[in-house]
Amino acid sequence: MKKLLAFMLVLVMSFGLVACGTGEEKKKEEATKAATEAAKEEKTEAAKEEKEEKTEAAKEEDKKEEDKKADDKEAKKEEDKKEEAAPAGELNIGVFYYDFADAYIATVRSEMDKMLDKMGVEYKNYDAAGSQPTQTDSIKSAIVAGANLLIVNVVETSSEDAAKEIAAAAKDAEIPVIFFNREVTNDVVNGYEKAAFVGTDAPEAGHLQGEMIGDYLVANFKDIDLNGDGKISYVMFKGQEGNAEAEARTQFAVEDADKILKENKLEALAYYDENADSKFLVDKDGKWSAAAANDYMSTILGSYSEEQNNMVELVIANNDEMALGALSALQNAGYNKEDGKYIPIFGVDATETAQGKIKAGEMVGSVKQDNVGMAATITQLVQNIKDGKELMAGTEELNVDKDVDKIRVPYQKWTAESK
Amino acid sequence: MNSSTDLKKQSFDSKRIINLLINNALIIIMLILVVYVAVTNRNFLQPASLVNLLSLTAAYLPVALGIAGCIVLTGTDLSAGRAVGLTACVAASLLQAVDAPGKMWPNLKPLPIWLVLIISVLIGAAIGVFNGFWVAKFKLHPFIVTLATQLILYTVLLRYVQLGESRGQSISGLDNGYREFVAGSLVKLPIGKGIGIPNYVWYSILLAILMWFIWNKTVFGKNMFALGSNEEAARVSGINVGLTTVAVFALAGAMYGYTGFIEAARIASNTPNTGFNYELDAIAACVIGGVSFVGGIGKISGVIIGVLLLRLIFVALPMVGMDQQLQYAIKGGIILVACALDMRKYLVKR
Repeated sequence: MKKLLAFMLVLVMSFGLVACGTGEEKKKEEATKAATEAAKEEKTEAAKEEKEEKTEAAKEEDKKEEDKKADDKEAKKEEDKKEEAAPAGELNIGVFYYDFADAYIATVRSEMDKMLDKMGVEYKNYDAAGSQPTQTDSIKSAIVAGANLLIVNVVETSSEDAAKEIAAAAKDAEIPVIFFNREVTNDVVNGYEKAAFVGTDAPEAGHLQGEMIGDYLVANFKDIDLNGDGKISYVMFKGQEGNAEAEARTQFAVEDADKILKENKLEALAYYDENADSKFLVDKDGKWSAAAANDYMSTILGSYSEEQNNMVELVIANNDEMALGALSALQNAGYNKEDGKYIPIFGVDATETAQGKIKAGEMVGSVKQDNVGMAATITQLVQNIKDGKELMAGTEELNVDKDVDKIRVPYQKWTAESK
Repeated sequence: MNSSTDLKKQSFDSKRIINLLINNALIIIMLILVVYVAVTNRNFLQPASLVNLLSLTAAYLPVALGIAGCIVLTGTDLSAGRAVGLTACVAASLLQAVDAPGKMWPNLKPLPIWLVLIISVLIGAAIGVFNGFWVAKFKLHPFIVTLATQLILYTVLLRYVQLGESRGQSISGLDNGYREFVAGSLVKLPIGKGIGIPNYVWYSILLAILMWFIWNKTVFGKNMFALGSNEEAARVSGINVGLTTVAVFALAGAMYGYTGFIEAARIASNTPNTGFNYELDAIAACVIGGVSFVGGIGKISGVIIGVLLLRLIFVALPMVGMDQQLQYAIKGGIILVACALDMRKYLVKR
């Protein structure tokens, strides 16, 4: 009886798995790109099998046949190498992302995968899942395993120790390291001649967001000031505590908007809750997530409303995810739909989703973080290494800092009129 | 003579009162908190604010209801959050509006809402069956099994969002009918311009009633409690231990699937982060509400109170101008105190 039951369970489970599998496969067929992906997977799997078989073969005592087999495989493998890796020389890249779950980073990753595939180099992606120890460990193991170029999206940005350690590990192994997106200090980059940084100028996003907010408010002040008290009350959603970009965006978005308001003889922004001891609400999990902003926003809407003349009149978010979370809460309360009641929302990243919302008028603006530009700049450096040139060769026309090898991919304002 | 019995009676009475106070300490703490917040910030008792508290509780309740069953079996379920994330992303991707930017499956018209609900619940239940199978068949502790499942699911989730045309973008631009079905409000309180109660509040109430029925009025529910309090005794009395275990996890999984379906539309922007850490809040809510890790003990009403108390902390502390960093400590303190009080009850009994 028990056995029967167990058997049935296995059946049910495997059926479930198969059902899921076929479902996904069907979907895969719909997507054109998936096919190439599958092919890639097969290839790597085949390679793995070969390896396993090879070691097994070595163990076998009866070598005659096996040797022949192994020889065949060796030949085959070499062929494969010629096909795949030969043009790339011996480049073996480790790409270390701070968190696969970050929506913006995910778009950089898919661009970078495409470009590296096209270049025909061997690379491996690692997920630190937001933990610096995990990242540092996987970098060290990758170096041991033969990686000879590191591309690192460092997790810890509030102190330079982690980045220093990574740069030191690269220096010991004498392999180049390219940091990207999350900024490392000048000391780290200058401390090793084969280190570079590709990123943005972190405060720029905040400045652009602030400018956009200021200009928008000056143009629409009367409509936005719902209770007519001559002040715009705002809420700020911060992605993470202790992250340099989050800090800069939180600070400059408001400061710069205030500057523009002042120039036009208007009152500065007022935080919606005057008793609050910090003028922002932060995602407690440090994930810059829509869910956190959504919970905060719906809670705010529970006690701030137009009827009470204390409605929040402006929403500023550190990234588009949080902006979208807040938007959803506002829409659940009847705002930012077709019928007029409108709270302006500003984000950063200009993800495709946010671009759609901006076009539809549900959000006002965002600041485009150029994922394609970022990936292209990094792969340009990779190409340099591949061609045996200097890491920073041919980057003169890019926006490079004066005294340090840091390349800045510019941000752009994104509004309904963009592209 | 007389006076001594009086004294005895009196001390007996005071003991009873103290016991009564301690046994209901949680509700008392909650009431004190409510009164304090209400006095400090008059916004707190506004109808809109109370509706918000209600909706947040409703949103976080189903996961807790599911996990509670696992805890009654002296287990736990760490895979809940990722299960919610996966089902949320699947549900959202199947219900993106035709013109959504970066639509995951560009040629897919939004499926019927009920079908997606069923798909989500089934995926959740399948995850639960998977968990239950390993627990029942190999006698592994659920902590280990669900820790493994959590990790496996995260890979599936990360892979899933990279599929199709979305390439890791957040899955958003949902079909309007779907948003309305979940977060719209059929019933509005006739106050001011009308305060809408989101539909998912009603669904959660129905689910709570359903779970109460399953726990208290069905053979399965009774088997679950019997199994939780003493596995050997349950086995001897003819309860099918394996099947019950699998069913408890499957039921929990179905709850996560449902939550994924709701969260997808409530938050309206879905990434692999969706559902992150939901299991920890749910487990905390359960133990605060008196669902004991000792096994075989727990009430639906307790789970509801636990969830409500956690949401109350989330809503109320910022309202009284409390430093955001203190919230963790307060949450931790309440979990400790609640569990200690709870265990004290059973220690006295033994």
